Amino acid sequence: MNILIVEDEALLALELESELEAAGHTVVGQAMSSMQAKALADSEPMDFAFVDIQLLDGPSGIEVGYHLREKGVPYVFVTGNLKRIPPDFAGALGAIEKPYTMNGLENALAFIERFVGGERRDSVPPSLVLAPWLEATL
Amino acid sequence: MIITDPRQPDNPIIFSNSAFSDLTGYSQEELIGRNCRLLQGAATDMTVVQDIREAVRSELSIAVDILNYRKDGTSFWNALFISPVRDQAGEVIYFFASQLDFTHVMDRQSELAAARSAAEKEVVRRTKDLRDALEAKTLLVHEVDHRVKNNLLTIASILKLQARLTSDETVRRTLRSVLDRVEALSTVQRKLFTTADVERFDVADFARDLATDVVGALKRDDIELSFTVSPVLVPAIKASPLALILNELVGDAVRRGLRDGGGKLHLCVERLNGHFHIEVRDTMQQQDVSREDQEFSRMILATCARQVSATITRTQNGCETVVDVELPVDSIEEDWKS
Repeated sequence: MNILIVEDEALLALELESELEAAGHTVVGQAMSSMQAKALADSEPMDFAFVDIQLLDGPSGIEVGYHLREKGVPYVFVTGNLKRIPPDFAGALGAIEKPYTMNGLENALAFIERFVGGERRDSVPPSLVLAPWLEATL
Repeated sequence: MIITDPRQPDNPIIFSNSAFSDLTGYSQEELIGRNCRLLQGAATDMTVVQDIREAVRSELSIAVDILNYRKDGTSFWNALFISPVRDQAGEVIYFFASQLDFTHVMDRQSELAAARSAAEKEVVRRTKDLRDALEAKTLLVHEVDHRVKNNLLTIASILKLQARLTSDETVRRTLRSVLDRVEALSTVQRKLFTTADVERFDVADFARDLATDVVGALKRDDIELSFTVSPVLVPAIKASPLALILNELVGDAVRRGLRDGGGKLHLCVERLNGHFHIEVRDTMQQQDVSREDQEFSRMILATCARQVSATITRTQNGCETVVDVELPVDSIEEDWKS
């Protein structure tokens, strides 16, 4: 998959990129602010995105999320504060709560790969908090 | 008391006693021939005066509380009672009026009202102070929590990045081994703040997620995982050592299972006869994993067990390894559900 990473902590973004590439994906861009994220979402073709909520310009990840939803790009939030996520999850599939573990991330990624590939009867790993709207359809 | 004569113009005082002079400061000579309105002053309530006039005009009795003034200009609260006195023909010939100074009662009431109002203001002020302090504390806790989570994940990222970069297998394994323990602590931090009760930690919930994640990431279907778990809440202070204990036990079983054809791993977390009981039962082949790894793991186990007063017993039945961890439950933990 072509993946966008929206994360203001450079080391976390770098490590996530390594993890995704090790799993065979391509990271098409890293954004640290909502502006960068939206610009990348408009210019790069992408299949998926990981979106932190707290960015350089504040808790603007939610806004990025709505933008991605409009573009039809599936994504998950990656955040330390699940309570910040609005009830509709801004269209996100779910959220990976920080600090995630390596195993947790791998399992969440495996689920996402299968989900984007069309699989709907998969069990959800504990590291991925599913959006209520999605939970209702599974 | 005084007596007035309504048949004379302006209803003058025709008699006053010495108590009345003591109360008002006017001598009897000064009072005779005057109308009672000489007791009125700046703050006298004119609606009450009007009530009195009305009663007198209608020849009725009246009892009112009125603010009156002495000769020297000081005021006093007068509980006034006025009653008409009739002759045999029923004609009103006098008005009789008695006075009672109840200024001290009014003072007391206004003192009480003032004290009440001051207390209410103080309560409002302190409530605001408390609310502000609580808000500041909540903000601080969230800020610190956010930083701790980010730092833990950054530490993990640094370890993972170097583990990925190194070509030395020993370095890589060592970094992974450190990462493994750091992540156990990260998970504690994450779980502590997601539940409503930040002072309690559910060992069972942690154990289930840990084992599911570890085994899930192996992507091997020859390791079969099962659980017998019910919520076991412990004080937050015991969360980290217990998480490390579980992490070592599950990690040990999984490491052994990695070598050969897998096996079964059963995890039990429950409360039993006043004890918390954790059991990790596996059928992984006994292997000589790295001696150093094993000793290090045993050291972490023993140290954490000592911290939470847990006893750990390991039994071997053929190919089955059973590790039991028993923790005494103190009274605080006992009543978590009540």
